[in-house]
Amino acid sequence: MSISSSSGDVLASALAVLLVLLACVELGDAAAAVSVYRLIQYDLAGAPLGSRAASVNHHAAALPLPAGADLSRSALVAPLLDLPLAFLREYLVQKKHLGALLILLPEKFNDKDAAANNDGNGQLKGALAELEKLLLHEEVPYPVYFAFQDDNFDNLLADIRKIASSGQPASATTGGYKLVVSSPEPKKVASPIISNIQGWLPGLKGEGDTEQLPTIAIVANYDTFGAAPELSVGSDSNGSGAVALLEIARLFSRLYSNPKTRGKYNLLFGLTSGGPYNYNGTNKWLRSFDQRVRESIDHAICLNSVGSWNDELWMHVSKPPENPYIKQIFEDFSDVSKEMGVSVGIKHKKINVSNPRVAWEHEQFSRFRVTALSLSELSSPPEFLESTGGLYDTRESADAESITRTVRVVSESLARHIYGLKGRNFDVFAENSSLAINPRYIQSWLDLLSRTPRVAPFLQKNDPFIAALKKELSEHTADVYVQSDVLDGMFTFYDATKANLNVYQVASVTFDLLFLLVLGSYLIVLFSFLVITTRGLDDLINIFRRPPSRKVKGA
Amino acid sequence: MTVFHFLNCAALTFGPHVVYYSATPLSEYDTIGTCVKAAVVYLGTALVKLVCLATFLKVPENDKFDPYQELMKIFIGFIDVAGLYFALTQLTHRNISQNHKFQAVGLGWAFADSVLHRLAPLWIGARGLEFTWEYIFQGLEANANLVMTLSLAALGSLMWLRKNKPRTLVPIIYACALLLATMPSITSYLRRSLEWQTPRVVGFELFSSLAMAFISWQLFSACQRTM
Repeated sequence: MSISSSSGDVLASALAVLLVLLACVELGDAAAAVSVYRLIQYDLAGAPLGSRAASVNHHAAALPLPAGADLSRSALVAPLLDLPLAFLREYLVQKKHLGALLILLPEKFNDKDAAANNDGNGQLKGALAELEKLLLHEEVPYPVYFAFQDDNFDNLLADIRKIASSGQPASATTGGYKLVVSSPEPKKVASPIISNIQGWLPGLKGEGDTEQLPTIAIVANYDTFGAAPELSVGSDSNGSGAVALLEIARLFSRLYSNPKTRGKYNLLFGLTSGGPYNYNGTNKWLRSFDQRVRESIDHAICLNSVGSWNDELWMHVSKPPENPYIKQIFEDFSDVSKEMGVSVGIKHKKINVSNPRVAWEHEQFSRFRVTALSLSELSSPPEFLESTGGLYDTRESADAESITRTVRVVSESLARHIYGLKGRNFDVFAENSSLAINPRYIQSWLDLLSRTPRVAPFLQKNDPFIAALKKELSEHTADVYVQSDVLDGMFTFYDATKANLNVYQVASVTFDLLFLLVLGSYLIVLFSFLVITTRGLDDLINIFRRPPSRKVKGA
Repeated sequence: MTVFHFLNCAALTFGPHVVYYSATPLSEYDTIGTCVKAAVVYLGTALVKLVCLATFLKVPENDKFDPYQELMKIFIGFIDVAGLYFALTQLTHRNISQNHKFQAVGLGWAFADSVLHRLAPLWIGARGLEFTWEYIFQGLEANANLVMTLSLAALGSLMWLRKNKPRTLVPIIYACALLLATMPSITSYLRRSLEWQTPRVVGFELFSSLAMAFISWQLFSACQRTM
């Protein structure tokens, strides 16, 4: 009996089929799970913008695309620099559908220790800025996610390209990789809250002083807005301003703690929110003040993006520079900056009251007839929703030295103004003195802010970050108060900003059917073999003949 | 699609048992009772083995091959053989011939083994989206296990149920039985020490099971001839 040879035949043919099956599906990595961050979804005055969907369950595709690929059922995975914007723009303008879009950001953004090299950076920054601008102002009907590129993704892309190069785009019938993000349907954020934190350093009221002391306000907005809310850490815009404000508060609280060195000005520190939305928060904050308090504000200094300048700082005003108040303040700044070896320029932009666009924070003060100015490294006013802490604005884009320089300019000028030290050539906040500016303080707060995404609608009233800011401000100032208000109705935001992406390697339907075929034939062969060996060939034939006569029971 | 894959792998894992039962005269003689009893004995044996393993084995610190631990595992593996002995000799079967008794016991034993060891991973794993070859290999292993259990049961019935055996064949019978009983340890040695990949190990199992089946079939028919 040739059982072994027939079984050998079966085995050989089985192995052959197995090899054919192996060719259809490659052995790949196991499923991977990655954190991905969704493009922001918001409505601006009713117009839907941003990514309008959140869940993904599509086959992965990569550039370069095979000819005739239908992307409406695929998720396109593209590294940032490989994604041609013209291609994306064409898809958006022509309202062509993608299943989903996954943009891979270079790892450098996630790595705080990587030294910023300037040659690659310019291209990266430009690409990111353009991409953000495109995506923020368009309605994108499919999910768009950002992820950080690492080895897993490199392998995934290589595998997808290999499969695609064999001529077949990924779909249910050919197998490949599947990207799954199971995210709940994005819901509206019910009442987005903006929280403004204020603190006072009261000045010294002399004997017989009946009138209210004048106040100098120092303001900076701490919130951000960007394409991916979970990645909007805004180190330069405006983390730098908030950190500078905290350091100035710390310095002046030391001066003001001793009655002998307390100035005859109150100092009001304001960490405002709602900056990207035409400084809506500042407006609400000022409105919440008693009119007398508002009128007592001598002038306000707003800090916006002071984290990456070397020689030139700009002072933006809405009153003409010939105005005596403005002139005096500008002279103070110029004197101090000249001593430091940097320069301060002045830029005048008239306010158009009918235009709702508020480009600088000082314009909100000006609308309440309070003299104000904005100090910034930017020489021209930023566009709507630009320079508000986008994807590129991470820890590397701000440095502590610039912020230190800013703090020195502001605090020295303030000190000369408050204490009447004009013309006298000495530093109040000299190095190695007890009032020295502390770069480590600045650095640690900048690090913290660069780790915390701060998009206002997603910060609750009792968010630990706001509590931390409040606590820090109360270390330096008195009467710390958090004023909360609802963001104006022009903006509506949606949640589901972060999700987990699962990457599966799936086998095609043809593979399953083929396997079923092989299995079926194996079982049939096994059955016939066993019947023949144990009962005889006649029995096998009898099974198929199935005559009306009854089955013969073995005796 | 993935339930499809689960059904496919389940058919590969459990199908051969069903086919064996229905194809051979086992179904005609209605030996299902024996199979069930053998399965129950297997469950009891598995329980005893687990208790012994937990009592006598240490948790390995590193993944290296420890000869003493492996020796311990081999001894515990002999509990399997004891269980088979119990199922073959001590249980009261209906009047079925030697030939069919070892087949029924082996079949029930292998089926219980497959269900216990392979059903749960199959149910949990094969239904997911991610495709791996793991469950197909598991199915192939179940097939090899079926053949090996049948061979062991055949040799066992030769050893304990048949009184007159040709003298020359007796040591061969015992040697083959020993080889079959230690087969799990051999495969784990291959996997761990020699670091064979799963396809290679499964191929080895299939090949060795067919070889042992052939040998035990020859031995069985040789003994039958002398009767």
